[in-house]
Amino acid sequence: MPYSTSETVDAVVIGTGAGGAPLLARLAAAGLKVVALEAGKHWNPATDFATDEKAQEKLFWTDERLSAGADPIPFGSNNSGIGVGGSTLHYTAYTPRAQPDDLRIRTDFGVGEDWPIPFDQLEPYYDEVEQFLGVSGPSPYLWGPTRKQKYALGPLPINGAGQLMQRGCEQLGIKTSPAANAALSADYYQAGVGHRKACTNRGFCQAGCTTGAKASMDVTYIPLALHHGAEIRPESFVTQLITDGSGKIREVIYVRNGQEERQRCRFVFLCAGTVETARLLLLNGLANSSGQVGRNVMAHTALQIWGEFDEDIRPYKGVPGALISEDTHRPARADFAGGYLLQSIGVMPVTYLSQMARARGLWGQELKRAALAYNHVAGINILGDCLPAVGNYLELADEKDSRQMPKPRVYFSNGENEKRMTAHADKIMRAIWDAAGAKNVWAFPRNAHIIGTCRMGESADAAVVNADGQSFDVPNLYISDNSTFPSALSVNPALTIMALALRTADRFLEQRK
Amino acid sequence: MPEKYPNGTVRALLLTNQVTEVTRQALTERLETSYRKPDFFSETAFGLLKAICRRLVPQDENQPHIDIAGGIDERLVQNKSDGWRYDTMPADGEAYKLGLAGVEETASLLFEASFQSLSEEQQDEVLQQIQQEDAPGETWKKLPANRFFEELLAEATTNYYSHPLAQEAIGYVGMADVPGWQRIGLNQLEDREPKEIMINDE
Ligand SMILES: Cc1cc2nc3c(=O)[nH]c(=O)nc-3n(C[C@H](O)[C@H](O)[C@H](O)COP(=O)(O)OP(=O)(O)OC[C@H]3O[C@@H](n4cnc5c(N)ncnc54)[C@H](O)[C@@H]3O)c2cc1C
Ligand code: SF4
Repeated sequence: MPYSTSETVDAVVIGTGAGGAPLLARLAAAGLKVVALEAGKHWNPATDFATDEKAQEKLFWTDERLSAGADPIPFGSNNSGIGVGGSTLHYTAYTPRAQPDDLRIRTDFGVGEDWPIPFDQLEPYYDEVEQFLGVSGPSPYLWGPTRKQKYALGPLPINGAGQLMQRGCEQLGIKTSPAANAALSADYYQAGVGHRKACTNRGFCQAGCTTGAKASMDVTYIPLALHHGAEIRPESFVTQLITDGSGKIREVIYVRNGQEERQRCRFVFLCAGTVETARLLLLNGLANSSGQVGRNVMAHTALQIWGEFDEDIRPYKGVPGALISEDTHRPARADFAGGYLLQSIGVMPVTYLSQMARARGLWGQELKRAALAYNHVAGINILGDCLPAVGNYLELADEKDSRQMPKPRVYFSNGENEKRMTAHADKIMRAIWDAAGAKNVWAFPRNAHIIGTCRMGESADAAVVNADGQSFDVPNLYISDNSTFPSALSVNPALTIMALALRTADRFLEQRK
Repeated sequence: MPEKYPNGTVRALLLTNQVTEVTRQALTERLETSYRKPDFFSETAFGLLKAICRRLVPQDENQPHIDIAGGIDERLVQNKSDGWRYDTMPADGEAYKLGLAGVEETASLLFEASFQSLSEEQQDEVLQQIQQEDAPGETWKKLPANRFFEELLAEATTNYYSHPLAQEAIGYVGMADVPGWQRIGLNQLEDREPKEIMINDE
């Protein structure tokens, strides 16, 4: 262990996912003494990860959460991970950029919130993260502003689901393109990280990549952080943040091997994800003079439409999200604010069949028959914006979990905007599947990615952190994860979380100069 | 239902180096698991749970049996969660106990007999009414019937299709990924992927 608990380190980073890992590497590279506390294990994918969904349940955060509201959000495998690398251990690595207008939904539509950061401040970080991770994608890219840099690698091959979506979209005049994925289409070398091998199309990204082709944090920013001298303390579950008379956090208390340990520090970077970051702040009664901690829970509209085809698809092959269309980013004559993207999806069998059982309620011989069609199914998924609403929030429940901590209860109901967007997307996706020749088409209504709870903004009355991720109330506390997004964006979040994490680290380092 | 894919594919692949060691271990262990005696449920409740699972995911009498109910009992006795639950539902273990009592209650209100003594059609009638929230019984005033059914069905489906034999039956061989997959487009198969058995319905 490079640092001792009696020593006062420069910074403690809580959580090592998309928001924690890049920032950890940046602080370490600047010569700071940094310790990351991570609740989960530090896995070795090559020897610890099985190509089996049940065996890989260990990647998911399973401390029980209570899902309330009209559209309760499923957590666990549908939502968040645990372990060095956080939810990137099981993300699909679909990494589109936000478009500039995503950041000003209030200006453009009069609803939701604008970001306190303009696109041109995020753009250099997008470039940097994409190059570092080795994102594979098409250059030029069909949508959004002209890219300053090409993707690091050419696009990955398109699997059966992608080909079918291409076929359907072509007939309807919808433009498609191979998607940007943070998985390597060719072997890649990065200083401070080393060599990583190209993706072998094993389609198991959502249950952990055994080859290192997928840019989860444990094979990218974590090795870089270690290279620069950061310390990672796995299986260390943070419970308390202790402040001194001046209101600054001086010590972080965590539980390791059943023992309570303390780490003294100058700064704290809270990167525990949307739910745990808010829960920790509420438990400790910190950083909440605005009353906004836990509020503004958002979850992307994420309807899936599945169909069966005559063709042999074998949906377990290839990166799941091979194809994209952003033609629906701001659809003409839409009756809603914002927009969404379209994504082709492959799927692992247990995930597909259990969600089918839930959504279609099939059982008995009907379930068995539908399961026999597994090798012939393909899906399309949307990923769309979601507006904040007063009824959507997180609170601490009276019920305690196995750690004797209050469980989080999360209220979520789709509003009128989400419902209209979903109806719009339902029509388009069914039309695409019809044109492609699908039979037995069915819809899986869902929301994905939990966002919000510690909103970033310009005013201490209405937000928890400022544009630099710094708490308005506790000057040595920063937040870097999906909780700070003021709006949900019409794209998957991980790339933007990483870009914002680097920006937060740079702003912090500049201030300290 | 006639077989759509040949028997024995996954079991044969597990013996080759196309499967990683960790994957082989996980799947072989599942293949070799024998029947479980209940730890969480009483013998009576467990018998009922097994009877319900037989209707939810019917199994071929001529094939080795997959122990769906045993997996549920094992999870509950270890107090494991899938990370969330509907706020309208009690804790998982309590929901199962209550729900099973509800199934008996509905069976006796509808047919004046215990669930296990009913015909398959009658059993399905009971389950269907629970799924559709139409089932009679005091239990369902305390426990949302449709959510109980949804959770049970999702867990039964997960347990069943996690089993290598069920994966064989649907033609899934994704676990044999050591060589990677080169032929990933429409109608492109690798040698180790089983072809469908053409079924003549006439
Ligand atoms: C199945 C699935 C597929 C996805 N696919 C995509 C995709 O294709 N593209 C995309 O952009 N996004 C995807 N996502 C979402 C993406 O993974 C998350 O948005 C992102 O990882 C969130 O980053 P974060 O830093 O906010 O939290 P996380 O990555 O979840 O990291 C939080 C970390 O904090 C740790 N932690 C929490 N509490 C404590 C505590 N008290 N003490 C110590 N440590 C703690 C956790 O263990 C975890 O490691 C997917 C998510 C899922 C579930
Ligand atoms: S498809 Fe590629 S990136 Fe995804 S798990 Fe497989 S090897 Fe890794």
